[in-house]
Amino acid sequence: MITTPGMRVAKIVAIVLIVVWSVGPIVLGVTTSISTQREVNSIPSHWVPRNPTLQAYRDLLNGSTGQTTGGTVTRGGDFVHAMTNSAEIALGAAALTLIVSTMAAYALGRLRFRLSGAVLALLIGTLVIPIFVIVIGLFQVMANAQLIDTKRGLILVFVATQSPLATWLLYAQVREMPHEPEEAALIDGCRRWQAFVRVVVPQMSSGIAAVAAIIVLSVWGEFLIPLLLTSTMSAKPVTVLITEYVGKYTTNYPILAAAGVLALIPPAVLALVLNKRITGMLAGSS
Amino acid sequence: MSGTITLESVTKHFPGGVVAVNDLSLEVQPGEFLVLVGPSGCGKTTALRMVAGLEEVTSGQIRINDRIVTRLPPRDRDIAMVFQNYALYAHMTVRNNMAFGLKMARMPKQEIRSRVDEAAAMLGLDDLLNRKPRQLSGGQRQRVAMGRAIVREPAAFLMDEPLSNLDAKLRVEMRGEIIRVQRRIAAPTLYVTHDQTEAMTMGDRVAILRDGLLQQLGTPDEVYDRPVNAFVAGFIGSPSMNLVPATLERAGDGLAVAFAGARIPLPAEALSGRPDLAGQAGRPLTVGLRPEDFGRPGGAEVEVEVTRLESLGSELVAYLTPAGTQDGPLLTARLDRGETLVQGETARVTVDARRLYFFDAETGAALGSGGTPG
Ligand SMILES: Nc1ncnc2c1ncn2[C@@H]1O[C@H](COP(=O)(O)OP(=O)(O)O)[C@@H](O)[C@H]1O
Ligand SMILES: [Mg+2]
Repeated sequence: MITTPGMRVAKIVAIVLIVVWSVGPIVLGVTTSISTQREVNSIPSHWVPRNPTLQAYRDLLNGSTGQTTGGTVTRGGDFVHAMTNSAEIALGAAALTLIVSTMAAYALGRLRFRLSGAVLALLIGTLVIPIFVIVIGLFQVMANAQLIDTKRGLILVFVATQSPLATWLLYAQVREMPHEPEEAALIDGCRRWQAFVRVVVPQMSSGIAAVAAIIVLSVWGEFLIPLLLTSTMSAKPVTVLITEYVGKYTTNYPILAAAGVLALIPPAVLALVLNKRITGMLAGSS
Repeated sequence: MSGTITLESVTKHFPGGVVAVNDLSLEVQPGEFLVLVGPSGCGKTTALRMVAGLEEVTSGQIRINDRIVTRLPPRDRDIAMVFQNYALYAHMTVRNNMAFGLKMARMPKQEIRSRVDEAAAMLGLDDLLNRKPRQLSGGQRQRVAMGRAIVREPAAFLMDEPLSNLDAKLRVEMRGEIIRVQRRIAAPTLYVTHDQTEAMTMGDRVAILRDGLLQQLGTPDEVYDRPVNAFVAGFIGSPSMNLVPATLERAGDGLAVAFAGARIPLPAEALSGRPDLAGQAGRPLTVGLRPEDFGRPGGAEVEVEVTRLESLGSELVAYLTPAGTQDGPLLTARLDRGETLVQGETARVTVDARRLYFFDAETGAALGSGGTPG
């Protein structure tokens, strides 16, 4: 391809825009979180705080009455509690989803049985159903099962919402995987499930790791479902808690930003560590 | 140490109407190395996978060591298989790859260790035991696959084109190695390949398969000297036998074979073993000439045009057209390098008329008892 100077400039502009678009809010969040409320509200506004402070983080983690923090009330321990809730829910959902999806993907990809094509189509079909179509029914089901405001309940819901995509991604991997190693295992004395556990699953490990990361990331960011299905700190994830820091009349932006920054750290670390695997999996070349 | 692999009228239909293996019967004798050979798609792999239990048979019976295993799962058949792509366990070290089957059989650790060490020594894998398969060359992976098969000391070995992913030089080397190991283990081995050279050099006996049908089963010499039909004749031997439409004509007391402008009187020796050949006089048939039977002293002379010459160093492969024919058949001849042929010119080459093969023009079945061994 011939690159004219014009195209070069266009490309650079595009990259700059993308970087600003995606990194900008994070930078803004970090600078806001180390500012004071007064500085944020000052006119003319300035980007870099003159006197950086960690007061917002202290207020967030230790609690604040709203007296000093301008409308935003935080309770000490809540934020950490919500972070652990988020982690438990995301990890629990990922673990259960992987167990279900790996087995389903293997069965759909390898074993010949009646209607296997239909099952796969149905599974993939659910991917196009928007979540708000089912939330009311979901709420009723969860209420009847007494799973409202429990982490168990949220985990179950996320297993249901995540497993179609997970199964589909892993199915693609199963289809690409050579048959012979598991056949060798069958000859070497394995029953089918033994070959699955000892040979197939290790063979799929890179795909499984990538799908695990995808699930954790997407469950971590879930908002609508936990908003609907939780009411107290016993199950509330960090995404829901953060919205409560928006005060009724005024909001302490540094505290809100600090919460956002901290909530971003676990998924960011995960994404950085597994970056290659995730992009590989999504590009279909794990 | 003795055992047999027996297939009795084994048939495999795949959904969609493909008959991959059709009424196949054969028996691998104790300690025998039997090669199943045929062109790609003829059903070799399917046959082997049925013996392994990886594919269900449609009908027929399979026995290993006289035990009926037709419906048993692979793990209960007491066999080991070497796959074309080796099928090593990628996440395990070489040692664990080899030990896996023994662990599954709950063999004591001590015994596993000594068996793996012994097999590793036999295959020259001692220094590689802690490596993962991806850190090995193709030839080394091949050896690990062999090692994994032999440590189990199975009742029978199955091998599916185990050398086809290796380069030519290594392939020749590994042929000898596999035979050496198999002789030592002395378990019956069913070996699949599409390569007739491999079949001829490795097999105690060779079974030639075509479209799922067994064509011939015999020693390499038998299938070379007395092919039962034109397919086997053309498949075995390299370069391939020349198969040319011809007629048998009466010539005085005897017979002559006429094809594409050439006419070769048949000596008495050519007829002695084949009394029924005379009855074919006047009928169209197919005559077979092996490339290596050209240029022999004392043969009948044929006038040919030299279309192309290939020197292999030790010998000369010549592509010849019988003189006076425009679109005549192209004959392949393997000649001494001393032969003085010039590309584009006509020449006279000799053909050993005692070693001609004759086949029915329609069915391809060998006429008489086939070519007499020289
Ligand atoms: N699982 C299968 N389903 C349908 N047809 C198959 C299957 N496996 C093999 N075949 C067909 O059976 C025939 C024999 O195949 P195969 O045994 O692999 O041949 P070979 O090993 O001699 O090359 C081929 O026509 C192939 O297309
Ligand atoms: Mg094959």
